[in-house]
Amino acid sequence: MKPQSITETQFQSYPSNVNSYDEMLDGNGQVRPHWAYLMHALNELGTEEVTLRHKESLKLLRENGVTYNVYGDPNGTNRPWKLDPVPLPISGDEWVGIEAGLLQRAELLNLILTDLYGPRELIRKGLLPMELVYNHGGFLRACDQIRLNGRHQLVLYAADLARGPDQKMWVLGDRTQAPSGSGYALENRLAMSRVLPTLLRNAQVHRLEPFFQSLRAGLNAIAPDQTDVPRVAVLTPGPFNETFFEHAYLASHLGYPLVQGDDLTVRDGHVWLKSLTGLQRVDVILRRVDDNYCDPLELREDSRLGVPGLLEVARRGNVAIANPLGSSILENPGIQPFLPGIAQHFLGQSLKLPSIATWWCGQPRELEYVISNIHQLVIKPIYRKPGVRSVFGHLLSKQELSEWRARIRANPAFFVGQEHESFSTVPSLVGNGYEPRQTLLRCFLVARAEGYTVMPGGLTRSAPEKGDIPISNQMGGISKDTWVIASEPQHVPTSNKPEHVGDSNPNHNNALPSRAADNIFWVGRYAERAEGSIRLLRATIKKLYINPDRDNPIYEDSLHSLLRGVTNLTGTWPGFFSEDPEVMLQSPDKELLSVVLNEQRSGSIANSLRCLVQSGFAVRDLWSSDTWRVMDEMEDHLNRSQPHDEGTLWHMQDHLDHLITTLCAFSGLVMENMTRGNGWLFLDIGRRLERSLLLISTLRTAFSVRQNDAVETQLIESLLDTSDNTICYRQHYRNYFELPSFLELLLLDTNNPRSLAYQIASLQEHVAKLPHTRHGLRLSGEERLMLEASSILSLANLDDFLVVSKDNIRENLDQQLSRLYYLLSTLSETITADYFRHGSSPQPL
Amino acid sequence: MRYRVTHKTEYEYTEIVGQSYNEARLLPRLCYHQNIISTHLEISPREADYRIREDFFGNQVAYFSVPEPHREFSVTAISEIQIFSSAQQLNFAEGASWETVKETLEKDRRREIQDARQYTLDSPFIEITPSLTAYAKTSFTIGRPLLEAVHELMERIYRDFIFDPEFTTLATPLTDVLEHRRGVCQDFAHLAIGSIRSQGLAARYVSGYIETLPAPGKEKLVGSDASHAWFSVYLPEVGWMDFDPTNNQVPSDQHITIAWGRDYGDVTPLKGVIFGGHNHELKVSVEVERLGH
Repeated sequence: MKPQSITETQFQSYPSNVNSYDEMLDGNGQVRPHWAYLMHALNELGTEEVTLRHKESLKLLRENGVTYNVYGDPNGTNRPWKLDPVPLPISGDEWVGIEAGLLQRAELLNLILTDLYGPRELIRKGLLPMELVYNHGGFLRACDQIRLNGRHQLVLYAADLARGPDQKMWVLGDRTQAPSGSGYALENRLAMSRVLPTLLRNAQVHRLEPFFQSLRAGLNAIAPDQTDVPRVAVLTPGPFNETFFEHAYLASHLGYPLVQGDDLTVRDGHVWLKSLTGLQRVDVILRRVDDNYCDPLELREDSRLGVPGLLEVARRGNVAIANPLGSSILENPGIQPFLPGIAQHFLGQSLKLPSIATWWCGQPRELEYVISNIHQLVIKPIYRKPGVRSVFGHLLSKQELSEWRARIRANPAFFVGQEHESFSTVPSLVGNGYEPRQTLLRCFLVARAEGYTVMPGGLTRSAPEKGDIPISNQMGGISKDTWVIASEPQHVPTSNKPEHVGDSNPNHNNALPSRAADNIFWVGRYAERAEGSIRLLRATIKKLYINPDRDNPIYEDSLHSLLRGVTNLTGTWPGFFSEDPEVMLQSPDKELLSVVLNEQRSGSIANSLRCLVQSGFAVRDLWSSDTWRVMDEMEDHLNRSQPHDEGTLWHMQDHLDHLITTLCAFSGLVMENMTRGNGWLFLDIGRRLERSLLLISTLRTAFSVRQNDAVETQLIESLLDTSDNTICYRQHYRNYFELPSFLELLLLDTNNPRSLAYQIASLQEHVAKLPHTRHGLRLSGEERLMLEASSILSLANLDDFLVVSKDNIRENLDQQLSRLYYLLSTLSETITADYFRHGSSPQPL
Repeated sequence: MRYRVTHKTEYEYTEIVGQSYNEARLLPRLCYHQNIISTHLEISPREADYRIREDFFGNQVAYFSVPEPHREFSVTAISEIQIFSSAQQLNFAEGASWETVKETLEKDRRREIQDARQYTLDSPFIEITPSLTAYAKTSFTIGRPLLEAVHELMERIYRDFIFDPEFTTLATPLTDVLEHRRGVCQDFAHLAIGSIRSQGLAARYVSGYIETLPAPGKEKLVGSDASHAWFSVYLPEVGWMDFDPTNNQVPSDQHITIAWGRDYGDVTPLKGVIFGGHNHELKVSVEVERLGH
């Protein structure tokens, strides 16, 4: 394809003479050859179409739940992942050079890491200053002399690259402790391949998936015991971490359980996963928790994210951690100026990829240089701590500059000065056209037994605005797909069979951590609680607005019964039981709105949904993408319905209808798509249990005290509506609403999926399948409880239910329901005690 | 001199502790002036996973867990140690000046000196502040021999500061100690170390025990002794020299060394993580018995 002239295209507004190097245009305003196809294709599509496809890709990423920072935190902004539709193409020829430079750098950093936690020859020989290492918070003395199996201590590595004005690619920084971004890179690629499939296929772009095969192989290679397929777990700080999405995504993509610190325990010199079926040994940990937080016994004692004793197990060689604890020492920017010397020492080579010019202030000459040139440098601490940021000299006032000079002089060994460069620009979609934006590229490597592998591609991030500004996800950077162009077409392999070296342990993968089971159980309960509450609310609103007859005492009594039912069912006391209920019962709109919308109120619909989404997010790795999309929609809806509380109750109906549909979609997907393992079992137990409790509570509120027949008839009508059982009732019992038939349908009919008998029967089946340690033929605690519940219903006599005492109470009905309620609550407690015990949290002695 | 040291640490919890993980630096290390005849830990309830290793600083560390639920937990270290009184009679007024030592530490590439150099840096409990540097400066006058300066620093700390166990906790920063002129042996050791480091010199923290002799005519009280701390300063060609600012003494044969490091944080006698327990009561007793020569 012949190079196009910029003027023929929709890129014509793109400035052809930008100050720094532009990735797309050469100095003469001509499109570079490896951009030609991409530009041509984007041009053919036209910006309008590209904008549409872009929106589509953002929607996809959103629906897949790709987020960067705190999820669902009311204080944090819920920031969906941003993807620009223009990728960064890199020519095959240039990539050969980048790849070689990255491989060399990874080998070099690996040798440094091995040396620093081994002989420390580099310090003795003066190739690395002692102060640079020993002053760094990432140099963990407790990790001294610990080694992983094999040649590689640095298993995962990521480098941030950018092109300087001299057209060379420079390394700006090294990520060596728990590099993030590879999962986002893969998600970007998936989104791009959905919205621009032809373009991606025809551009001959290298695939990313083989990198993840290598990651599996690399993790297997460091396992302590090489005789068996190792059991790997992904250790995350939890759902409040900024990159939790990626932890969950990688865990599920790689087929490893996602665990938090207290899912693991140390016994007998090994690490174990606390799963439902007991302790399962863990051989390899893919770590996304910062090293200082991994073991409260030997590292930070205030950490709640770690596993006490973990470091000792690693020391004994019984668990391999990737990256090993202590590897954050390499993220020290002060090491950069010493790399050329070390490369000569270890490899006899010069660096193929230069580092950005860096001066470590721990040396007198360098200190003076930084002090005199501070206004044009970037000042960085050697150790990243919360609250300590890099500063750009050119942005500082005179006053601030002199403060920084003093700060550096007081503690020179803690700072470096770095050259401030204008990096190359890449076109980004802005409004209806394309504008140049400075760009950074993060590349990913993993060590396999035979050497490092580079992901052919990476995570490109571009500045949200024009000019020289720091680029980071925290500060609103926008990501791009990265295309390494192959010389021949890339075939998608027809077989999905993974390479043998990347096998994962099938027994281990079925291991459901107790915490995950706990969360799933509550997803079931909250989903049902939300649905049950919405149904009753909806029936109540209907009653209130359709043919209200507020002068009629029969209407009023049945309405009041419903309103009290709302309070009891949602547990939003005092509600309609408040000390002066008359006013409230007279105009209930405000209270009902609050029960729908007030998220701070425990038991409200908004609150149940929020809890549902939070429990669901904590086990993000277990949901199919369709299921996740539904959950996401739920949260979206929740967030949108929050701000305007002034909506009227009548208008709430749409909102509630929509939520019911979403909740039903969720249950449907779970029923249809989730394998019937322990996860599903706990979810369905949660559901059935909650549905039973709600039903019992509703029936007791409505019918324990006998009311006028006409009132009860109206109540029956509303409650049938609530349980979506009206049609079913009519088929069986015609149009006459009467209590015996109603109770039979909702309590005793084992064929009605909304009846109590049906729930109990399901629960009885489920609890028999729970992983028990059997004591002969004896029933488990859970089985005993459900046997009693089932007997109560089997032996129940409708006539006895209807007997009314002198003080107008249906004693038998009330007592039986109360006993059932007790049995079911006890079931919940027993399950919690038997399966979800995480123990108390650790604390320092 | 031979001693038997019994160091007992007991915890009583208000609630059951499910399990615990522990690290003890209670077994004395071997060093040039002391020989370990025997040393062991007695742990109750029974421990699991017990292993001894050497840490970054060469100290003995015992790792163990207590897997069974308990309300009481005790660790007793029992050691028999031979101390050789330092025969060397150093004249503090002679020897290298502190400036010479500083330069040697900066430039000399010999392994031993490089190893000592790490003790010139700040550490988690000891951060050099201007007030600390100013306090040190009085003793480190131009051209003064290092040992003379350090000896005077020790005397000044002994004179200027009041031993007050009520005043400080582990979390009391050095600046508060300096401002209020109060503290315990740990604080005085930290203060001396910080002063010495502020001059670009190497100093480290030593934990151990001291034999306290009974008052004339009285029985020595069992358990009246506590674990102790002092500091050590590095002098090239000679090595590490101990000083005890709490007692204004150059240790000879009454100081028993357990471990050393940059500061207290590196040599905590007993660390642990427990599950459960809620509140606890702690009792520590140390008994140093003289067994003869």
